[in-house]
Amino acid sequence: MKRNNRNILNFKDTAKKLLILLVVFLCVDHLSFAQETTFDKHGGQLVFTATSDPRSFNPIIAKESSSSGVVGYLFEGLTKIDGITLEVLPSLAKSWEISRDGLTWIFHLRDDVLWSDGVPFSADDVVFTFNDLIYNDAIPSSARDIFTIDGKIFKVEKVDAHTVKFVLPIRFAPFLRSMATGIMPKHALKSSVDDRTFNFKWGIDTPVSEIVGTGPYLLELYQPGQRIILRANPLYWEKSDQGERLPFIDRIVFLIVQNQDVSLLKFLEGETDSCRVRGTDYALLKPLEKEKNFTVYDLGSESGNSFIVFNQNPRLNPKTGKPFVDPVKLSWFQNLEFRKAVAHVIDKKRIVEITMNNLGYPQYGTMNPNSGLFYNPNVIKYEYDLKKAKQILNSAGFIDRDGDGILEDKEGNVVEFNFFTNSNGAERIQIASIVRHDLEELGMRVNFLVLEFNNLVAKLIANYEWDAILIGLTGGIEPHFGKNVWVSDGQLHFWNPGQEKPATKWEARIDEIFSAAVQELDDKKRKPLYDEWQMIVSQELPVIYTVLGAGVSAVRNKFGNLKPSLHGGVFHNLEEIYVKEEYR
Amino acid sequence: MFKYIVKRILIAIPLLLGMSLLTFVLMQVTPGNFFDTLKLDPQVSPETIAHYERLYNLDKPLFQQYFHWLKNLVHLDFGYSFHYNAPVSKIISSRLFNTFILSLSSMLVAWLVAIPLGIIMAVNRNRFIDKFLSFLSFVSLSVPGFFLAILLLYFASKVGGLPLGGMQSVNFDQMNFFEKAIDIARHLVIPTIVISIGSVAGLQRIMRGNLLEVLRKQYILAARAKGLPENRVIYKHALRNAINPLITILGYHLSGLLSGAALIEIIFSWPGLGTVMLTAVRAKDLYLVMASMLMGGVLLFLGNLLADIMLMWVDPRIRYD
Repeated sequence: MKRNNRNILNFKDTAKKLLILLVVFLCVDHLSFAQETTFDKHGGQLVFTATSDPRSFNPIIAKESSSSGVVGYLFEGLTKIDGITLEVLPSLAKSWEISRDGLTWIFHLRDDVLWSDGVPFSADDVVFTFNDLIYNDAIPSSARDIFTIDGKIFKVEKVDAHTVKFVLPIRFAPFLRSMATGIMPKHALKSSVDDRTFNFKWGIDTPVSEIVGTGPYLLELYQPGQRIILRANPLYWEKSDQGERLPFIDRIVFLIVQNQDVSLLKFLEGETDSCRVRGTDYALLKPLEKEKNFTVYDLGSESGNSFIVFNQNPRLNPKTGKPFVDPVKLSWFQNLEFRKAVAHVIDKKRIVEITMNNLGYPQYGTMNPNSGLFYNPNVIKYEYDLKKAKQILNSAGFIDRDGDGILEDKEGNVVEFNFFTNSNGAERIQIASIVRHDLEELGMRVNFLVLEFNNLVAKLIANYEWDAILIGLTGGIEPHFGKNVWVSDGQLHFWNPGQEKPATKWEARIDEIFSAAVQELDDKKRKPLYDEWQMIVSQELPVIYTVLGAGVSAVRNKFGNLKPSLHGGVFHNLEEIYVKEEYR
Repeated sequence: MFKYIVKRILIAIPLLLGMSLLTFVLMQVTPGNFFDTLKLDPQVSPETIAHYERLYNLDKPLFQQYFHWLKNLVHLDFGYSFHYNAPVSKIISSRLFNTFILSLSSMLVAWLVAIPLGIIMAVNRNRFIDKFLSFLSFVSLSVPGFFLAILLLYFASKVGGLPLGGMQSVNFDQMNFFEKAIDIARHLVIPTIVISIGSVAGLQRIMRGNLLEVLRKQYILAARAKGLPENRVIYKHALRNAINPLITILGYHLSGLLSGAALIEIIFSWPGLGTVMLTAVRAKDLYLVMASMLMGGVLLFLGNLLADIMLMWVDPRIRYD
């Protein structure tokens, strides 16, 4: 009934406009106008598949640094990041000012925002989110680590009902971008902080109606293992450029399907509207585009990566008094020529061909091409060249002296080491076995072992007993958030973690770069610093990169206003996307 | 009889305690804990991880943790799942029913098909029907379940008409009760076939063997010589004696009712316990694993007890006192 009504109204509206237009321009084609006039874009639903259940609807205690898909639609930050340009845009804050010294930030909040239960949003919520949640000692949260610099926290104060002041301990370049962190409702959560139950608040066992946000969608239903349904937030503040109420789509459904093959079948059957495309699926899906009425979007490289690290930790194990790494092996791993040879022998093209059915990209630098601004495309590219790799090794003293096909170093030690990777993800194991094969081509004896993830982590960051590892991290657009990997005292500085003093000159320089770049608020001045860091990494090869997967999705042709982008994917502007009338 | 049951229950208590202790120790001595994934996140500090470990008592000595768990267990508090940020009991109860109907339907199908088939095979020993069914059962025994699952999924996607994975349709919430029941039943068809087909093959072979064995007995000869009709000989005298070993197997099957078939559940995206438990073990979600282990243990015990009682009922020769 309701929809009918709207259609009739809409029809009248459109008809009137058309009539006027017809009178003014008598001999113009109607069709071109039908598109320009504002028709009602509201309604319809969008069905996604999710590969796992949500772990919490509480973004503060969710034990992930990135808010998982669903939660991202429920809450908003003071700022947001444009999915196309990666610029910082206003969200809950309509504007901001920064003091001359770069330490004081004043945010002017929107005064027309309501929480989904009707309570107005105000500066109290922002102050509460930081002072009572993120900086609360009783609440473990990875958000706190983002907003703590050298052990010091930000001072967050309310100026008036719609103005908030942040005072930072040092100039902090990623500040604006990290202000996209979701703001939580004080009126709904205060009592749980007071009685110390916040750590268990808004878990997946919470009735969905209790969860209050400012985002474009509300939780309507969660059936564990089956589906999550979001419904458009009728109180959402944002309007489209034409002044229409957002979001357009009424319902977003996430079908929880643990199995990628079933997800593909469901998409082909028309049950879902979008589907991730793996290398092996591409050949199947692409020819069906027309017949099944969908489009395959190839958006470029994804952000998950896989790289090889050699253990260069020179210290002794305090428990046994023996070195973590056999000194003979350590001397190889610390030898830049050795690492260069390895970099030259990784056959990235073949890895992409075999593991990703050609839907992938070689990776050379530490920033991914899809990270935009700070990506340095000019790093040294080590192309596959077996002959050159052998030459490099020979001139560094690694020669097969006894003719058994295995290299020996100058002292006659056989070049043999362990090579580990983790057992989650078939793709990584495949990549590792190709790498192993490549290393054996080079004349190294590689003992390849696939370990349980926990076991691998223990080796990496607790007992340091490993030779070479293939592992991956998810990259982001902000280099500073990878600091723990790159600075020499970082715990995740895999090849030689937790150094008291930088072991090498180049590591000292990277330390300098990271502490300088974080204080440089002008992105244009920050870029050369991070460019230099990426260059150093490609020169010194503490990590040797392999390949990046391609982000390919198939989307049914029923949506308008899609703006697929390299960084944000197909649905980054979800609230502006609408379902075409004939599919509602 | 009553005394026997009480005795069995008393024996079960130390058994379950030992089992839980063993699981606990095994989970803890393997390297790492749930928070290892966080340790590889450059944005998470060691302090935050220590904070989590403190929150869930993971920093305490092993036995203190175990007794803490045991103490809560007495109050029927199964602990808290790290992975799902929710009480273990809620995680399990939200999926218990789903696993139960899938297991129950496959068990019913398996037994209702296997027993008659086994009887037919034994009665028609060495005739065509026996050989044909034997052939089928060998084939279905040797095809791995996951392969059959994928094959059937592919088949269903080509033929159409049956849902591909999941337990409810997207618009399930708008259906009335009757439509809901039909919707779930339609989703049950393929997974039920896959799970039951393996047990059908096994059960019918056991049934056939047992019945053949009994048919060779002298009292059957006597019954036939006495001039009893063949039907009566088989169903009244032979079958009742042949079914004993199957009742023991039924006990085991009962205990598996709630443990779920993880692999099949994953392939069909069935929202059951199997998937949750598999994730829990892989992610080292300690208390979820403990609870599932305990549940499995209790069910195994109950299944066995039930089987023994049924045996007593079927075979008057068996006495436990």
